[in-house]
Amino acid sequence: MKKILALILALVMLFALAACGQQPAAQEPTEAPAEQPAEQPAEQPAEEEPTPDTITVMVPPVSGTYQDDIETWIADFTKLYPHLTVEVIKTSWDDHNGKLSTMANAGEAPDIAEVSYAAIGTYVELGVAVDIAQYMDPERLADYDQNALDYMSIENTVYGLPLYITIQALGANKEMLEAAGADVAKIQSEGWTYEEFLEVIKNGTTDDCFGFVFANAGVTASDFLNIFGVGAGLNNAFTDDLKYAYTSDNMLKLLEAVEDMTKSGYMPNYGVEAGQRMVMCQQGKAMIFGKAMPLFENNINKNNAALEANDGTAVENSIPVQYAFLPVPTMDGAEASCFGSVDGLIALRNNKTTDEHLKNVCLFMDYICSGERIAAVDQTLLLEPVCQTGRDAYISPEGLDEGNVASAARCIGLVVAPPAGVTAEQSAAAKTIMDEVIVPKFQALLAGEATAQEVYDALSTAAVEAFGADGCVSGTL
Amino acid sequence: MATTGLYSPHVNHPEKRIARNILLAVILILFALLTLFPIFYMIMSSFGPAVATAGTSRSIIPRVWTLDSYKAFFSFSKYSVRWIGNSLIVASATVVGNVIFASMAGYAFSKIRFKGRRWLFGLILVAMMIPYQVTQVPLYILIANKLHMTNTYAAMILPGVVTSYNIFLAKQFFTSIPTPLIESAKLDGCNQLGIFVRIVLPLSKTVLAVMAINTFLSSWNTFFWPFLVTSKDYMFTIQVGLKTFKFANETLFAPMMAGATLSALPMFILFFTLQKYFLEGVTIGAVKG
Amino acid sequence: MSKARGRTLADRRFRFTSEDRWGYFFIFVAMAVFVMFTLYPVVSAVRTSFLKYKPFGSEFIGLKNYTDTFKSPLFYKAVWNTVLYTVVVVPLSLLIAFSIAIMILPFRKKTQSVFKSIYYLPGIASGVALSVVWLWLYDSSPDGLFNQVLMFFGIPAQNWLSSSKTSMLSLMLMAILSGQGSNIIIYIAALLGIDNSYFEAAELDGATFFQKVRYIVFPLVKPTTLFLLVTGIIGSFQVFQNAFMMTGGGPDNSTTMIGLLIYKNAFEYSKFGLACAQAILLAIVIALISLVQFRLMGADVEY
Repeated sequence: MKKILALILALVMLFALAACGQQPAAQEPTEAPAEQPAEQPAEQPAEEEPTPDTITVMVPPVSGTYQDDIETWIADFTKLYPHLTVEVIKTSWDDHNGKLSTMANAGEAPDIAEVSYAAIGTYVELGVAVDIAQYMDPERLADYDQNALDYMSIENTVYGLPLYITIQALGANKEMLEAAGADVAKIQSEGWTYEEFLEVIKNGTTDDCFGFVFANAGVTASDFLNIFGVGAGLNNAFTDDLKYAYTSDNMLKLLEAVEDMTKSGYMPNYGVEAGQRMVMCQQGKAMIFGKAMPLFENNINKNNAALEANDGTAVENSIPVQYAFLPVPTMDGAEASCFGSVDGLIALRNNKTTDEHLKNVCLFMDYICSGERIAAVDQTLLLEPVCQTGRDAYISPEGLDEGNVASAARCIGLVVAPPAGVTAEQSAAAKTIMDEVIVPKFQALLAGEATAQEVYDALSTAAVEAFGADGCVSGTL
Repeated sequence: MATTGLYSPHVNHPEKRIARNILLAVILILFALLTLFPIFYMIMSSFGPAVATAGTSRSIIPRVWTLDSYKAFFSFSKYSVRWIGNSLIVASATVVGNVIFASMAGYAFSKIRFKGRRWLFGLILVAMMIPYQVTQVPLYILIANKLHMTNTYAAMILPGVVTSYNIFLAKQFFTSIPTPLIESAKLDGCNQLGIFVRIVLPLSKTVLAVMAINTFLSSWNTFFWPFLVTSKDYMFTIQVGLKTFKFANETLFAPMMAGATLSALPMFILFFTLQKYFLEGVTIGAVKG
Repeated sequence: MSKARGRTLADRRFRFTSEDRWGYFFIFVAMAVFVMFTLYPVVSAVRTSFLKYKPFGSEFIGLKNYTDTFKSPLFYKAVWNTVLYTVVVVPLSLLIAFSIAIMILPFRKKTQSVFKSIYYLPGIASGVALSVVWLWLYDSSPDGLFNQVLMFFGIPAQNWLSSSKTSMLSLMLMAILSGQGSNIIIYIAALLGIDNSYFEAAELDGATFFQKVRYIVFPLVKPTTLFLLVTGIIGSFQVFQNAFMMTGGGPDNSTTMIGLLIYKNAFEYSKFGLACAQAILLAIVIALISLVQFRLMGADVEY
């Protein structure tokens, strides 16, 4: 026993030494070699000798290959600007937002980070977001579509560059849908009403198949609200005259519809993990599923191919499925719409930021948000680019179902941009209400433990407290 | 053999004793199965095919035995192995720091009569009661904003390099060493350092071993602090690395379990070789007299 | 002359003896670490609790973080959840640990160690990974493992973590089933410390097994029970990781406990000041509990 102990102590000492020895090395990332060769030539020519600068960028796996692709783009970029070095912080979707806000709070935010437009207000409030128009070539800024830039702006100040407009709606097993009496082509091209939707999921429900499944476990509950909200006329948290929209009657109607759905028996009455929704569809256990994106066609086709090849990589017990991308149904005469969100990159201030540095930051941010880089991302996600150079480089993917392509195009056209002029404070307050009231209460509604009215009341109370009765919509939108 | 008089020995009815012990054993084994099941499930799943949660079959024992998930764990990130190394470095350094400095402080507080020792030790006792939630935010700001130490080993090691609990533990133990032993050494011309190294430490191997093991264990399994102060994947500890297998929409279940099994392996080995110290460590400081 | 006398006075008061110097030498590193990484953060937390914290230029807002806390229904809900969790988990854990310890007693030393080791094992595996395992066991679809077990016994499938009725219960069950190792070991040590003569005397009086437990074991392990009770309560007031990994506090904040609320305020909602204020309130509560501990244990345990 003594010997073992001695051995362990010796090992421990060894590691301690190793720890001290490695520390300085750790500061300098070990993955640097990819960039370093590009750095050297900078020293020779240089008329004005630009000062070397390091840019950090923090990104989640925006597309399946994004975190690898970005390394390549960085290598290309540093060939153009040898005095610049770029470090990537790769995060997972799960941790990204928490990590970013933590780092920003400590004054050590990355220079560039991926955010969804709804989160920008938080960073403006914190005083770390950067007005990028000051540091960017106006011509380059003009490359981006104005409506996408609107998403990246607060009170008409642009804080970042858009990557894409994502659309989120519903997906379905096309054959089952047709068997349930739905006219798929018509739904995809003209949309459908909530009553038609209910009829279809009723017909599609059998003993071992749900007509409809929506991932609702945990925080994904908010997706349900966002995606179906547009069908009830709730396109954004604020109206054009900047009043809080979720206190309108439309919200109550939406909540009641959700309550009916959960009680209908056409969808599972238990919590469904996000990962399970598409699997249920692939296994023939669900007809329509949400949330769904156009890009799921790729996943489903891949599984179909795996089934055919029978190489054991297919989802267990799955069946061949023909994927249909569907718009959300509209309620009570609301205008057809689609939930869209713009994800983009924003520039952030940390305790080392200087004006010179911000110019470099914006240079790089523009580089990866435009041209072939963004076209490649949009191609894998089956989304349209939102800047001219991106569109020029975009090659439409082949072999996709035409109905789906048309349906996706129609949905993108239906997305309503947020109103201009929302203040950072309003946006931050709306996010707090979403996180602390709506999502938790909505989870209760989905579990059948709160009524629509209760959710609505809780939401209204919180909203009136935050925005005042005058700042909230009453009545129908 | 019963080691206590609590139970009747049933000297005249051995069958009663046997029946009773069988009943007790059954209950104990049932509870043991319940306790072990998650670990068992973790290990079993790690040998299943490398697919995401939703696609995982729900059988407890994998239908196909494969090492794919282990391969997937190692190829998930190019730093998978480094994560384990990082954990080893952080945990080892923390152990060394605690064993040396906590025992020194514990010795001083118990056997050296210096000015202010009472209230300094009182301060340490009070610190033991402060919930970590109080210090986590300022500590993070200190490390990140003032010291600029994020993504370094130092950031993960230093805040825990001497813990109040270990000082307390050491002090409790050293108090039990007879003072005359130390006094006589002093008369022999030994200075305090000499006494500490030559007399006190050799008498305290058990408590030091216990301290080392417990510190190593808690450092190895700690998740939250490394999670806060690392953002670059090559600086993750294994616990933080494992978290990256869980995404908002999906969990790479089997590969994560493979990683978890690998990370638990050193602990299990340590546990079974040094069982005595582990089990002793629990009671030290808890039951006195 | 007078000068010299003055110096001796000063010597007596301010000069450090060799004993002092050794003392400070021995505690130097420990105290430096303590001051830097415990004392400073605590002071800083108190300061931050009066600020609207921003990375560049915080504003002093007085007691607003505290008044906001006391106005927030979520805070009370979190406190209630924490108390509920503590009141169920801690006593139940002790009861189970105590019963198991009693049941282990009649076996040989070797057998005892085997059981002790088994019960201790979950404590040494990765908490992050185990929480994912439990998440999967609690899968609320009818295919979920626990649901299959329930349905085997004819009980309808449960919604486990997705229902605000069962989510807290699920977390409690997990804590109770996997956290008993050290409690059991401590109880066994305490039980083995009971002098056999007590039992022999009771045997002569014809005491039954349960009478012996009631009148001999209970009173004699009381200090241990109190110790476990108090450390258990303090620990469970800080519980955070499982809720963080498994439910994120949901559904309907039914598993948002005070530890998680503070975490979320700090690291998800960017309200460092509010988080510090709530943490300090938590510290005060814990200090009060500890005070009660010292009162209760008073003579039994001295530090």
